[in-house]
Amino acid sequence: MSRSLPTIALAMGDPAGISPELTAKVMALPDIRAAARFIVIGDRRLFEAGARTAGTAADVPVVSSLDEALKPTDGPVFVDMRNCDPAAIAVGVVSREGGAAAVQNFRAAIDLAGAGHIDALCFTPFNKGAMRLAHPTYTDEIVFLDEVLGTEGTASEYNIMNGIWNARVTSHVPLKGVAELITRANIDRAIARTRTNMITAGFTEPRIAVAALNPHAGDGGNFGREEIEVIGPAVEAAKAEGYSVEGPFPSDTVFLRARAGAFDAVLTMYHDQGQIAMKLIGFDTGVTLLGGYPVPIATPAHGTAYEIAGQGVANVGATRQALLLAAEMGRRAREATPAH
Amino acid sequence: MKAPIGITMGDAAGIGPEIVARFFAEGPERPALVYGDLAALRRGAADAAVDLRFAEVDAPSDAAALPPGTVPVIAAGRLAALPPLGRVSAEAGAGAYGAVVRAIDDAAAGRIAAIVTAPINKDALRAAGIGYPGHTEILAARTGTADFAMMLANADLRVLLVSIHLSLAEAVRAVTPETESRAIRLADSATRAFGVARPRVAVAGLNPHAGENGLFGSEERDVIAPAVARARADGIDASGPWPGDTVFMRARRGEFDVVVAQYHDQGLIPVKYLGIDEGVNITVGLPFVRTSVDHGTAFDIAGSGRADHASLRAAFRQAVAMTGS
Repeated sequence: MSRSLPTIALAMGDPAGISPELTAKVMALPDIRAAARFIVIGDRRLFEAGARTAGTAADVPVVSSLDEALKPTDGPVFVDMRNCDPAAIAVGVVSREGGAAAVQNFRAAIDLAGAGHIDALCFTPFNKGAMRLAHPTYTDEIVFLDEVLGTEGTASEYNIMNGIWNARVTSHVPLKGVAELITRANIDRAIARTRTNMITAGFTEPRIAVAALNPHAGDGGNFGREEIEVIGPAVEAAKAEGYSVEGPFPSDTVFLRARAGAFDAVLTMYHDQGQIAMKLIGFDTGVTLLGGYPVPIATPAHGTAYEIAGQGVANVGATRQALLLAAEMGRRAREATPAH
Repeated sequence: MKAPIGITMGDAAGIGPEIVARFFAEGPERPALVYGDLAALRRGAADAAVDLRFAEVDAPSDAAALPPGTVPVIAAGRLAALPPLGRVSAEAGAGAYGAVVRAIDDAAAGRIAAIVTAPINKDALRAAGIGYPGHTEILAARTGTADFAMMLANADLRVLLVSIHLSLAEAVRAVTPETESRAIRLADSATRAFGVARPRVAVAGLNPHAGENGLFGSEERDVIAPAVARARADGIDASGPWPGDTVFMRARRGEFDVVVAQYHDQGLIPVKYLGIDEGVNITVGLPFVRTSVDHGTAFDIAGSGRADHASLRAAFRQAVAMTGS
């Protein structure tokens, strides 16, 4: 095995959607196989079904345990979890069985990360509802990661599309709870983490734009004072540290400026503020990245696409981008820690 | 003969006079007149490097008697002196307000067919002691309109806002059964005015993923979904609440005719992203048609001769379309 290649666990997602097809398609790509050593985690029958749908060869060597998968090999390996019979899964239908398999795959990959065996973690799209049927506390990936790893509050989430990173101060919380979460500490932390993660991904000094919370950036205090009292001072403090940070900018135009090349990243205050623009930029190629865990975690930003599952038409672009980003970040992290 | 369309000049320190001059130099497709200050308009024409003749008239009905090519001006919000360009001034704020008020009174009396507004500056209004945050609020107050809303439209998308100029925290509190029902009803009637016989009205959720079945917020279940159901019972083809991050894409693809956005930026982000130069802002619910440019006074480029009048042209065309040409 090439010593410089990072090791990446790829957990198969919801079996009723396009995850099996995407897993097969992405593992058939030569540039993906060259970028890292992948440990694919799932049920081999689903992988083979995905390969049939995709029209690709299911030629990843199969092993029957995670321990076996850790033995050095040149290429990718597939860990057969034997946890989901394709016959039990109806295409395009949420099921507890499918959710249970996805939870199990994800947990196995997280365990590898927690034990220091991998350099990055990826997964194909999950269905949170199905996962919740199998694992009632499953709220989202961050909550589950914290549950498995015993972490809390270290996570940061990014969406990356056409080279633009979107980081958020708040994410999956009711909008009415957002304003009270816009604190100096939360913004300082979000800026610092965004910068750190982007540097790990290869930026020298990322140019970060900070969005305002209120319309027209509060219009000088007329429609909210968070810009004056919290966000503005946080931006000034980051600048004083020598970071390339600007704002707060009205959120209805900040993405236009990023698209025009003025910024590498936009830090938004709440979920839809970033997601609306990012999805208009390019729904099919976006990547979601989770930082703040033992390894970077990357996944396509799109969902399970039940409406096109099983047809062979799923676009593998975002999955490929996710795996390439994970490989790049994993490689850099590996180089930074020679003892690995 | 159909009444002319009135265009307000906007804040004299911004790009309003320049874009108005550019617009008239191009030749409006239907009779139009300006509410504003003659000297400021002449400065705008000079900045735009266009050759225009202006003439003051006392009433809109006098405009038709002017020689062709002469721009009729209702002197409203007259300025004692020309304010410096690119700076907030009480004088310009008071002038802009005066022009808008005169246009409103003429529109309410049917002397003009519609109002198209150039940008005003809220800080200038405030400096002049005028407490309104924007045109929409002035229009609503002056006409005594309780049920009004701001709608934005460009070639790809129509969006109506449940609330306009509120902080995010206040906007969340403004999501009530009344505001939702009003927004859906106004979105339906305004889109009919665009010529859509039975508009498909998509209502956005307030929370991430439209609350994800109550996991990330309850307003969808408690307030928005019931309002959609009431609208449907009233015969409106309403649907939702849909996740805010995909509903605009779907509307753009043609699934919906109009989207009800729950707060200012939720609606403005997609509108501006999809077409900042040709966007139009429409006040819905007034007793007359009012459209506006969707940009501000652009103090940073005022007087430089670089202002683009595409949005004003689009707003005028919209007013023509909504009043019958």
